[in-house]
Amino acid sequence: MYTELNSILNTSPDSFTQGEFVLLSDRKSDASFLIHHFLSLYLRARCKVWFLGLVQSFNHYSAISQRLGVSLVQAKEKGQLVFLEGLNESLSVLIPQETDTRSQAMGFLSDPAVGLKSLYEFVRSSVTSSGGGEEEADGAEEWGPPVLLVDDISVLLSLGVSVGAVLDFSHYCRATVCSQLQGNVVMLVRCDGEEEEDDGDDEGSERLLKGLTHQCSLTLHVQGLPTGFCRDIHGQVEVCWRRRQGDWQYTQKKLFQYKVHDKGASFFAPGTSSAVL
Amino acid sequence: MLPELLQGIDAGGFLIIQDSASYSGRHLLKSFINSALDREEAVHVLGFEVSEEELKDGLKGSPIQRLHFHNAYTDPLGWTDHPAFTVHQFCLEELTRLVKQTSHPKPATLVIDSLSWILRHLSPPDVCKTLQQFRKGGAVRAIIGLLHADMHQSGTVGSVCHLATSVITVVPVVKGDKAVAKITKRSKSGKVMQDEEIFSIKDDFTVIVQGKPSQHGPKQADPKEQETDPTANLTFNLRLSDTEREAKEKLALPFVFSKEKKTALLHSGPGSGRILYEPDANDDYDQEDPDDDLDV
Repeated sequence: MYTELNSILNTSPDSFTQGEFVLLSDRKSDASFLIHHFLSLYLRARCKVWFLGLVQSFNHYSAISQRLGVSLVQAKEKGQLVFLEGLNESLSVLIPQETDTRSQAMGFLSDPAVGLKSLYEFVRSSVTSSGGGEEEADGAEEWGPPVLLVDDISVLLSLGVSVGAVLDFSHYCRATVCSQLQGNVVMLVRCDGEEEEDDGDDEGSERLLKGLTHQCSLTLHVQGLPTGFCRDIHGQVEVCWRRRQGDWQYTQKKLFQYKVHDKGASFFAPGTSSAVL
Repeated sequence: MLPELLQGIDAGGFLIIQDSASYSGRHLLKSFINSALDREEAVHVLGFEVSEEELKDGLKGSPIQRLHFHNAYTDPLGWTDHPAFTVHQFCLEELTRLVKQTSHPKPATLVIDSLSWILRHLSPPDVCKTLQQFRKGGAVRAIIGLLHADMHQSGTVGSVCHLATSVITVVPVVKGDKAVAKITKRSKSGKVMQDEEIFSIKDDFTVIVQGKPSQHGPKQADPKEQETDPTANLTFNLRLSDTEREAKEKLALPFVFSKEKKTALLHSGPGSGRILYEPDANDDYDQEDPDDDLDV
């Protein structure tokens, strides 16, 4: 959890906007540090967190969260964190074992044309069964609003799922988690290559990014510096509120440069890094 | 032209608000809903992209009981057990049924949020056919649709926009919360009017038009260009007086051959050198044409 980013986004573990769909995206850069930020933020905020880790193992996220002062293992044991390890799950689909009792969440792998209904079913059943954590009996801890994190959703495109299917999935996640349960959804999208002006006939990450941008309420777009690599500035992040920022619903944009440290990240206005001043 | 459209679309009209990822047209759509409600019309919203709460957020001041929200947001594909309205129900019969559900003396307006959702799941010809039939069917007075133009191929966007009587394309301006609306309006006589307007939307969804971008933009630069004369304040003279021009025209230029010059050069005067050649008897003079063998 980066406190500087919290103050930019006007959030804190104690108070954060509910029902938000946050879109993280990157181009020629790496926005995964933001996923770690939101993961630790919501865990500290005592939300019930569902994490679809499609690109890294649990140990990876656990090791990084440890540095940020949150223990994923503990959270998992307490039932606060539900972690879908996409890599393991997909293995069990691709190489079926006889004694397999796993969920069919990654069932789309065997037939990507079917769409992501199975993955959504997994999210919905587990999110709604706990009822947002309100009516937990037998002395179990109560958790706040549900939060769904996806790292990263564009990897589904590489697995043969169409852009439309991914957009349907995110729509359903938003309808269920954000609107119905007043929770939050955070998704990461990777864009490879240059920004192009084409008329939307490409089945790729560009179209996915546009489609998700239409759905989301807050975007954090990470880019490399246009001038190239720099030791003191790792890139720039464009924060864009699309609606429901207080009472005012206009798109509002802010640009920051950032540097990721060992245990945290610093954000500053463009041109005010220590290398310049 | 934007206030005119907000005042009311002609009966049988079809308005499309085109937006892109950089600026959402939903605020303008809400303005249209708001102004229709203020005219005491019934508004049916077919909502795919936002929830009912989100859509009604901010519309509280207006008479909201005439706003009928048809929930296609929670389950547009029928993934759960009890879908309210799925995208595959987007056909003439279902739409007519939806609108007829509530009786209201005044004609209704159908708002589709958004056409992009439908176009992603149904084939464009089907969507166009349904829209056209529904518009002609007379069940509603007007249709207003939101379209995310950057999500579709330009051909699809074009064919849907051909159906519309008015198309408003919203584009953000660089700074501020203003936007530019590019409006194309086709009247019944076939006349097509185009206009561009800068507008902003207030908290209560009233639209304020702030002039035309063409007047503020490039046209303003024109008089400035006329004022600055590049030939002013030069350190040298670019113009000729009459006497100077006369003198200039009199001057013979060095490589222009006049008659006198030619004769003077070709007929050399006495005393100059001359070449005389008398053929010698021993000269080996070939009578034959040396190029005789050439096949020319």
